[in-house]
Amino acid sequence: MKFARSSALTLAVAYTSLGLAALALFAAPLWYAWRVTIQEGRNEVLQSDAQRLTEVFRRDGPSGLVSYINARVGLQIAGERLLLLADESLRPLAGNLPEWPSTVPPNPGTSNVKLELGGHLTDVAVVHAILPEGYHLLVGRDTARFQPLEQRFWYALAGAVAILSVLGAFGGILIRRALLARIDGIRRTVSAIIQGDLSHRLPTHDSGDELNTLSRTINGMLEQIELLIHGVRNVSNSIAHDLRTPLAELRSRLEELALTKPSTEQTFAEIDAAVADVDGVIRIFNALLRLAEIDSGTRRSGFVPVDLSAVAAAAVEFYQPAAELRGSSLMLASSGPAPIRGDPVLLAQALGNLIDNALKYTPEDGTIVVEVRAGGYDSSVEITVADSGPGIPAEQKPKAVERFYRGDASRGTPGVGLGLSLVDAVARLHGSELRLEDNHPGLRARIVLTQDTPQITRVERATSEQGGFQHEPVYP
Amino acid sequence: MKVLLVEDNERVTQFVVKGLQEAGHTADHAPNGRDGMFLAASEPYDVIIMDRMLPGEIDGLAIIEALRKSGKRTPILILSALSEVDERIRGLRSGGDDYLTKPFAFGELLARIDALTRRSQGESAQTRLEVADLRVDLLSRKVTRGSRSVTLQPREFKLLEYLMRHADQVVTRTMLLENVWDYHFDPQTNVVDVHISKLRQKIDADFERPLLRTVRNAGYTLTSHD
Repeated sequence: MKFARSSALTLAVAYTSLGLAALALFAAPLWYAWRVTIQEGRNEVLQSDAQRLTEVFRRDGPSGLVSYINARVGLQIAGERLLLLADESLRPLAGNLPEWPSTVPPNPGTSNVKLELGGHLTDVAVVHAILPEGYHLLVGRDTARFQPLEQRFWYALAGAVAILSVLGAFGGILIRRALLARIDGIRRTVSAIIQGDLSHRLPTHDSGDELNTLSRTINGMLEQIELLIHGVRNVSNSIAHDLRTPLAELRSRLEELALTKPSTEQTFAEIDAAVADVDGVIRIFNALLRLAEIDSGTRRSGFVPVDLSAVAAAAVEFYQPAAELRGSSLMLASSGPAPIRGDPVLLAQALGNLIDNALKYTPEDGTIVVEVRAGGYDSSVEITVADSGPGIPAEQKPKAVERFYRGDASRGTPGVGLGLSLVDAVARLHGSELRLEDNHPGLRARIVLTQDTPQITRVERATSEQGGFQHEPVYP
Repeated sequence: MKVLLVEDNERVTQFVVKGLQEAGHTADHAPNGRDGMFLAASEPYDVIIMDRMLPGEIDGLAIIEALRKSGKRTPILILSALSEVDERIRGLRSGGDDYLTKPFAFGELLARIDALTRRSQGESAQTRLEVADLRVDLLSRKVTRGSRSVTLQPREFKLLEYLMRHADQVVTRTMLLENVWDYHFDPQTNVVDVHISKLRQKIDADFERPLLRTVRNAGYTLTSHD
């Protein structure tokens, strides 16, 4: 609230000051030009006057000029124009000044002086000319008549400043009001969120102004936070539940051992079993840590070019004996190199989890097909693991990737319910997601990734197509 | 074998030192980075087990870097609670030879330091490996047991080669996963066991004396001794 008020006020003050500064910048040269023009014009008039009088003096001599000046003084309005002719010793001979003013500089030229006129000091512009035979001529003009004009200029400027200030203040208040109303809306929503209700969202509308964009961004952030909080809550519930079981077993095993004190041989067997229990707990922890590591997104910095076909081939080869042992057939269908950018360790683990899952749930003599398809029309790389097991019912599919979720089909099989979560996390790290589809019958797990297309890979692919054989792409 | 353990946790220290002595090794122990640095630099050890987070100013990785800079080639196994892939890579980049995360099974630790000391003795120039009457020719990739030729898939060959190179040592499932398949994760099910039993079928079936044996709670060993 305080921030909003002060920021709106600061804004209004800043704008008004800026307006005033602009006004000053505009007025100052105007004022200067005006002053200079008037002064120069006046001096020119005075100088040409002095010139004319000097010519009269040259033509008619001192007496001629005296009578000329007397005629001029008799004609003009008193005070406006000053004329004075004086002899060598500055004694006045003719004109409308009683004596030679002492403030006029002794050298000929133009100057501004103060003179006693009609009882009070007045600003006067004078031209002092020295005529032949040592006569002095003074032509001057009272500048006081320009003062009202000057005053009006200042009044107008002051008026403009006043109007600008008032408008600025008023505008500031208006802006503040409008801003405050919207910020207050945001503040109220955020307060509700702080109190723990994450479902609130900031009001937004269709316009693309800054506040609206900000609100939308904040809403996106809230969405993400809500998702994360929800996830964390789910996970901590699940951890509490799923670790409680093995820990309870371990505890009772150890307590029983202490109570019953069985034979040494049996004690060792129990200790071995207890160590196995702990290993199970550690395994869950490791899986969770791995998930957290993937979710943090830091692994993305270690992305390198990977051939998904090679990863799939290695995984199929790795699980082949396990499939044979179960009497299932595990097959790889690959359409050549499938270059992507990714983390080879995580991709192998994700693929391993999918094959492992498929093996677990496929009955004997079942079929599991791992397929890698690259270079479709949209340059995607698609990897699917399809089995002929019972599949996952449609309503359970969204839950299947949740942490610690174990579907009905998984009862009685080993595992902690983190396998598909990890696959999904790895897929999301690579900018995709795990899709679970129906294989009629069975489950079809699918991940669509973006193909990595460095120049050299394209060349490599082209030659391999022409040559009719496949080989691993060479990456730069 | 003379082992240096640099580790600040007393229980872990006691557990490891006792286990090493039980296995017939001598073990020195340093509870902090300074002592560890001093011992590692001044005494000749066959292998060093190094914790990463140590009390005092010097941490495990700093010690390893300093040792490597001064030209010490003693094999070092890093023992750490930091399990992330990046941490592991950092540990190996600093000059460590192997990386084991806590909590760990003692069998795993023992097998790994055995493998490390064996590796440091140098065996790369070998072209033929032999355990009893099982022979592997690394150049022609031919395997024979007695007078019989054994046909192996490429990966089976790699598995056997690794076991042969570490003959008479215990090799854990994790070591096999990391070195034969380059898988640095837990594949949940006992796939390694299945691979081993397949290999066993090929090299041990019909022979009186099995060479590839299971070591309870630890892993496998390929040996001609009883």
